[in-house]
Amino acid sequence: MDEKKKAQIYEKGIIVLIVLSVLTIGELWFALFGLTWWSILILVALTKAFLVVRDYMHIGRLFAGEEEY
Amino acid sequence: MTVITQTLSEYKTQLLRNRLGLWIFILSETFLFGGILISRIYLWGGTRPHLEQGLAFVLTSALLTSSFFMNRAETAVALGNIKEFKRGLQWTMALGTLFLIGVVALEWPASGLKASTDAYGAVFYLMTGMHAFHVLTGIIFLAIIYRNGKNGLYTPERHWAVEAAAVYWHFVDVVWIFFYPAIYLIGTIA
Repeated sequence: MDEKKKAQIYEKGIIVLIVLSVLTIGELWFALFGLTWWSILILVALTKAFLVVRDYMHIGRLFAGEEEY
Repeated sequence: MTVITQTLSEYKTQLLRNRLGLWIFILSETFLFGGILISRIYLWGGTRPHLEQGLAFVLTSALLTSSFFMNRAETAVALGNIKEFKRGLQWTMALGTLFLIGVVALEWPASGLKASTDAYGAVFYLMTGMHAFHVLTGIIFLAIIYRNGKNGLYTPERHWAVEAAAVYWHFVDVVWIFFYPAIYLIGTIA
């Protein structure tokens, strides 16, 4: 794996962490102001889960060929 | 001394089967935690008990950050960087342990709930307890791969155990992504 790809993978990990942090702060902010709407909080949770499953759990590998490590 | 007899081609074929098995296991776990989440929705409805939101936020942040370090450790082993792999795992285990201690030693006593009192206590301990148990098993799993990595058992081409541990750890994180709002944020205080 070349340096460019390596840097891209690490960068993606950081971006995902930042997005997760912002969404988590947003969730708490909603709750602190009494805006406990199920739909919004579930949507936020689904977005966070999607990011983790796609970018950290690498679900795409399951459907990839033998070349994918 | 361990002798690797499997060819790389055989290993890759086995890897595909292993991945499928792991994800089927993850799916079965999803049903387990999904059932627990539904019991919360059914028994608590639009209410929730009064709990420490600040502490839960800190613990949630620790768990999310641990996933970042786990991803970094997995990437590092795929690049053959064992030093960074070990560092990433150390952070993951430290944050996971912080989460576990925070839930069991701080959150549980601070909640003022008892599992046998009412539905709030029963569901609260079921959700946090079952999740904490998975965090504990995840930490044990990580400790095993840390030791194996230190002993040079993983290479950029062969590190299935690291991938499996990473997927398991992230799954535990995903479960908490749903449990955290369900326990601490959604609903009015009863």
